Amino acid sequence: MDLVQKEHERLSKRLKASQGIKNVQSSIDLLQSARDSIAADPTQASITLAKLQNPVKTSFDSINDSLKETHSGLNKYTKSLDKLFKDRPLPSTEHDALSSQEHLINRAIAMHLLREGQFSVAATFLSEITEKRAAVHAPDAKFTDHGINLLDVDEVPSTEIRKQFAAMYYILQEMQENYNLLPAIEWSRENREALEARGSNLEFELSRLQFVWLYHGASDQQVTGISGRQAALEYARREFHSFVPRYLREIQQLMGAMAFCSNLQDSPYGSIFNNPSAWEDVAHSFTREFCSLLGLSADSPLYIAATAGAIALPTLLKLQTIMKAKRTEWTTENELPVEISLPPSYLFHSIFVCPVSKEQATDQNPPMMMPCGHVIAEESLKRLSKGNRFKCPYCPNESHFKDARKVFL
Amino acid sequence: MAAELTSTKLNPESHLILDQPLLRLPHELARKNFKTVQRTVEREKEYVLPALKDAANASLNNTHTPDQTLAALDAMISRMQGLKRKMENLQDEEKKIQIQSRKRIQHLETLHKIPSLADVKYDQWSRVRLDRLLVDHMLRSGYSESAKQLAQEKGVEDLVDLGVFTQCQRVVESLRRGETKEALQWCSENKAALKKSQHNLEFELRLQQYIELVRSQDKKKKLEAIMHAKKYLIPNHESQKTEILRAAGLLVFTQDTKAPPYKSLFSLDRWNFLSDLFIRTHHELLSLPSQPLLHIALSAGLSALKTPLCHSAFTSSSSNSQSTTTSVCPICSTELNELARKMPYAHHTKSYVEGDPIVLPNGRVYGQARLMEMSKKIGAVESGKIKDPTTGEVFDENEMKKVYIM
Repeated sequence: MDLVQKEHERLSKRLKASQGIKNVQSSIDLLQSARDSIAADPTQASITLAKLQNPVKTSFDSINDSLKETHSGLNKYTKSLDKLFKDRPLPSTEHDALSSQEHLINRAIAMHLLREGQFSVAATFLSEITEKRAAVHAPDAKFTDHGINLLDVDEVPSTEIRKQFAAMYYILQEMQENYNLLPAIEWSRENREALEARGSNLEFELSRLQFVWLYHGASDQQVTGISGRQAALEYARREFHSFVPRYLREIQQLMGAMAFCSNLQDSPYGSIFNNPSAWEDVAHSFTREFCSLLGLSADSPLYIAATAGAIALPTLLKLQTIMKAKRTEWTTENELPVEISLPPSYLFHSIFVCPVSKEQATDQNPPMMMPCGHVIAEESLKRLSKGNRFKCPYCPNESHFKDARKVFL
Repeated sequence: MAAELTSTKLNPESHLILDQPLLRLPHELARKNFKTVQRTVEREKEYVLPALKDAANASLNNTHTPDQTLAALDAMISRMQGLKRKMENLQDEEKKIQIQSRKRIQHLETLHKIPSLADVKYDQWSRVRLDRLLVDHMLRSGYSESAKQLAQEKGVEDLVDLGVFTQCQRVVESLRRGETKEALQWCSENKAALKKSQHNLEFELRLQQYIELVRSQDKKKKLEAIMHAKKYLIPNHESQKTEILRAAGLLVFTQDTKAPPYKSLFSLDRWNFLSDLFIRTHHELLSLPSQPLLHIALSAGLSALKTPLCHSAFTSSSSNSQSTTTSVCPICSTELNELARKMPYAHHTKSYVEGDPIVLPNGRVYGQARLMEMSKKIGAVESGKIKDPTTGEVFDENEMKKVYIM
């Protein structure tokens, strides 16, 4: 990389210093002055012209010299690029499984744009897809119906989802720019059951932040003190009763803090009331809950997948070259032949690798737990037991195939 | 801990695989630009120097009147001025390209300063990369307006090649409309580079023109077609013999023929073939990969993330065991689920489960700490009971059983 930078620097300098145009100008000047002198005194024409030959030629030569210099600069830069990307060709294009699924990719992109809040880009994108589709299908009317159908079902995230994301962005914006938690609280109240089933504290977290915010005097910095406390207490009286069964302790803390109002900073409750990242945390958990209720992951899947792809690519490329050199292919088409180590935050599921066969569990070969609590894959279990009692490979316990139970990770 | 360190290690050099076209493309443009400069200078040189010599000789031998000499000089001066203008334009172009390259190098350089994949800065960098990949994909699929808008909103205009692709798209569209003019113009602009190309785009375009002339079945047009073939097709007779013979045979067929090679020659699908061929040639010339970079990144990423559980008939009880509240796996998320269906799943050699796993009577496995905490949060469960967060069933705490996963 350093080399590329250096060569590029050198190249730009060379271009800046390039004398090409100046030389062209000097030939023009030469020609012009010759013309003037001939016009003034036609008798001198042949001498002037004869004198002109060499200087014009030299100036062309120097143009070419400066071009040569640029050329060598360009070549050096090419070499530095080649060196940087040496042995790292882009993966071969033999089979691009994704190009047949263009519409799915487009849908993923559209949803990515929506969830990133790029509504206008998303709208343009969708309308361009529609246009193109219409153009493709226009010649044969037979397909037009089909096309429109595809558009609704597959390609474009339904208007419902679009509306949902718009709502999410409205709420987030209110929260982050105007410190207005009310739309978020309202949303969480509407979805209370679903949130509770997920074990989410969102509604209470939002209400608690609202309480703290009121306590600090809302947006108005002047009104600290009594009126803020008053407003917070009123809010608590009005809203907190529904939280009492689940969050009694937390509410007690909030109320207890009232007694320390003169010196809240040093009280045990200081951290609740002065948490600089509180707003960010709440916005984050709101986004997560909102997306989860839609059945979507909190971070853009497209982002995670593309990043994971970039991380995985070097390994996969190496594999490709090795396999090409050895002319082998891997047999299990449905599993990658190498392990790719992704950062821990990219692991989303538990993974069960059978300790006996070293294969990953699948629907066809699920993990089975023996009575002793050790787990191996079903196929390994069958192979070990052969219908008889057998010893667990990990402890002295003996059991029968039918004693083992399927577990879900 | 050691495993964690290796998996978050960032090797910037090998991490740049996807970013080759980022530097290669402007460089190809710069080279093309340079060659144009070289060619124009050469052309003017070949005109001016002999012309000057002729003028000198003529005036020496008194075959030229002074006026003629002056006229010859004027012609030279105006040619040189033309050259200067051209060079100035090209130099401006060059400068733009260099500034762009500079910004791109800087962008890649920042990656070298990022210590690990877990760093926040990497996150930001990777988001910019995703934007770039998206714009690239949009441009390649012909959604130029969206691409432009996205690049503007994200401020990555210098990192994407709007101009190049828009131009390419324009030619492609003209071909789809059944026009060869723009594509042929592009061919003549890139004549030198096309000689090395393995595709014979120009021949195919000329052949198409010929087919269009024959299609009309008009006598005059057919004569014109023969002239056209003589001029443009026959010079390629060595490499394109069969095609030329077929073209000759085409003269006796009408466009509703069912005879195999002629039917396909008359077919309107040939225009799609031509536009694909153009795209292939164009990308090859600018050393652009033939498939969108997004596809490359996604197909690697989907496989690296995919687990057998993502398309399992049973709901998995675990999500990311790092967080206490479950968040949806990106492959399970609606956006990518269908896309990943045909992909191979990642290879793992070690089991990866939550700490301290227990099994419930219904066979579901959870980390004990997480299960307890979640049950506590869900108010509806009495103490001493636990609720399965996946199925909603409620069990007694002592029904939990330890499970050993190696």
